Amino acid sequence: MFRTSLRTVRTALGSKAFANAPAREQAVSTAFKVQDPKDFNDRVKNSKVPVIVDFFATWCNPCRMLTPRIESVIAEKQGKVLLAKVDIDENSDLALDYEVGSVPVLIAMKDGKVLDRIVGLQDVDKLKQFVDKYSE
Amino acid sequence: MKSRESKEKKSWYFNCCKKPQTMDSDLSDQENYTKSLEKLVTEQENIEADQKFMYDLLVIGGGSGGLAAAKEAVNLGAKVAVLDFVTPSPRGTTWGLGGTCVNVGCIPKKLMHQAALLGEAIHESAAYGWQVPDPNIIKNDWQALTTAVQNHIKSVNWVTRVELRTKKIEYFNALGYFKDQHTICGKMKNGEEKVFTAKNILIAVGGRPRYPDIPGALEYGISSDDIFSLEKAPGKTLVIGAGYIGLECAGFLNSLGYDATVMVRSIVLRGFDQQMANTIAQEMERRGVHFIYQAKPSKIEKQADGRLLVHWVDKERQTHQDIFDTVLFAIGRKPLTEELKPENIGLQLIPETAKIDAIDEQTNVPNVYAVGDVLHKKPELTPVAIHAGRLLARRLFGNSTEQMDYVNVATTVFSPLEYGCVGLSEEAAIAIHGEDKIEIYHAYYKPTEFFIPQKDVSNCYIKVIAFRNGDQRVLGMHFIGPNAGEVIQGFAAAIKCNLTFPKLKDTVGIHPTVAEEFTRISVTKRSGLDPKPQSCCS
Repeated sequence: MFRTSLRTVRTALGSKAFANAPAREQAVSTAFKVQDPKDFNDRVKNSKVPVIVDFFATWCNPCRMLTPRIESVIAEKQGKVLLAKVDIDENSDLALDYEVGSVPVLIAMKDGKVLDRIVGLQDVDKLKQFVDKYSE
Repeated sequence: MKSRESKEKKSWYFNCCKKPQTMDSDLSDQENYTKSLEKLVTEQENIEADQKFMYDLLVIGGGSGGLAAAKEAVNLGAKVAVLDFVTPSPRGTTWGLGGTCVNVGCIPKKLMHQAALLGEAIHESAAYGWQVPDPNIIKNDWQALTTAVQNHIKSVNWVTRVELRTKKIEYFNALGYFKDQHTICGKMKNGEEKVFTAKNILIAVGGRPRYPDIPGALEYGISSDDIFSLEKAPGKTLVIGAGYIGLECAGFLNSLGYDATVMVRSIVLRGFDQQMANTIAQEMERRGVHFIYQAKPSKIEKQADGRLLVHWVDKERQTHQDIFDTVLFAIGRKPLTEELKPENIGLQLIPETAKIDAIDEQTNVPNVYAVGDVLHKKPELTPVAIHAGRLLARRLFGNSTEQMDYVNVATTVFSPLEYGCVGLSEEAAIAIHGEDKIEIYHAYYKPTEFFIPQKDVSNCYIKVIAFRNGDQRVLGMHFIGPNAGEVIQGFAAAIKCNLTFPKLKDTVGIHPTVAEEFTRISVTKRSGLDPKPQSCCS
């Protein structure tokens, strides 16, 4: 039961977050998918605001549950913190450079430096606490 | 009890992929303490090697054998690189790091076999009181199954990748070939070539499925490289080849609800005990798998509706044809040795098979070694490759002298009713020792759990081959029944310890299990007595 309801939430959120329609572009600009190491450099390491990096894998169920949760938490921050999503299979070296072993992993970064990290699935309250620290 | 359960569940949610248990999950870390001394010595030697070559060991092939050797070598202080590259199958299927077993072999096949067993269990459960809504309408969702299987594989690929990084093994996604006996060229995906030099080179490239030279085979056929990630349900399937891969594929496809036919050229399960092999085929036939014996495919044509028209020739040279949705070739595997450009270093291959006749894993080129499926007349099994790779690394970098023992390796065919064996087949025992020197014990048995759902027990059969005289040492054990792999593994250890028939009989069984049947076995073939059990509850 628990899983089913979560999945529904994910589907609802997911369809919003992953929509490719240009009209959505502005609304979801607080979250983006990292394309390659250069993109990571430009948009994460050189970001003016703190960035939460979500290292995820498409084959990992907890990741699929975590991503929509962190997306909703970040969306509430209205651009004070950004969310960068990194598919570890597409950017393996990047993930390995940040010592990602088990997924999901969330890393808080500011000025190119790792400030904090949490491993595994987290509930929304925990995510809020994690993000709040860097959105003030 | 309940709280513990929920806690376990929770921890599963928390961490998706700590470490899937695979063959490669090595235990060798625990042994590292004892090796620290040896390590110092090896490091000294390796410093000298470093001055000349980039690596102490370069492994070509990131499968079970290559990775096991690489990990053991770094544990012993060597500088190691691994090249791994998957050339797409004719159908275009590719996969990640980890080799055949993880990606297109043991792991996905065991998962699909498990899916098949679960389907069987659903039907049986009604007899045990489960109120299953008409079991006949329960269907397997092929996409859901393949997605789950592929997701597990991808998680193993990732864990392997992480492990290489943690252990500081350099990994390159490149197709390697010999330039000279210390130099390997690695061709990357983008066509660029990278040059690597190493003191020792390990060939662990494994093999890939063969295709017959008939029209339509490459265009329309698939192989075990493709079946586990096939995007569309296979439908009515013709499996060509009756080795263990062919039988396993036909077995799980049939159990998942697809019409499956096995085309046998000559015999079933070549190399295995033929009585056991034929029993397995008989059991599969009883479950609905079709067999076409003594036939060879001659042509595959694609019809306008997309289905495949297969022509074959029987032993009387008569041509037959039938229509299938999928044609899967399981006619054997070909080692990837020619791709290594062996001529550049004078590496000798067996002309007929292109395999490497290595002595103690060493090829005719002294610093070039080989493990795994490329080896001539060695069992093509993941644990064999792993063990050989690990022992080789210890000999190269840990001053070990221990050699790989390729004798009495147990294995299991995951046919619907499984077949596990260790040691000699009846034929081999007779050929080696002579019929009058050996005794064959055999028995049919009835697994307890088969009674209630009234499952057919006619092919639950075991056989023990032992010397007739002297210490009556056990030469071979064969088991057909549920969980054959689990059953035979322990007996393999006993045989490694020179199990004798009196010791086997002196072992007290665990009741009620299927494995205990080995401790009860007493009827010899020579006696001519009926090996069938009493008809009622004994």
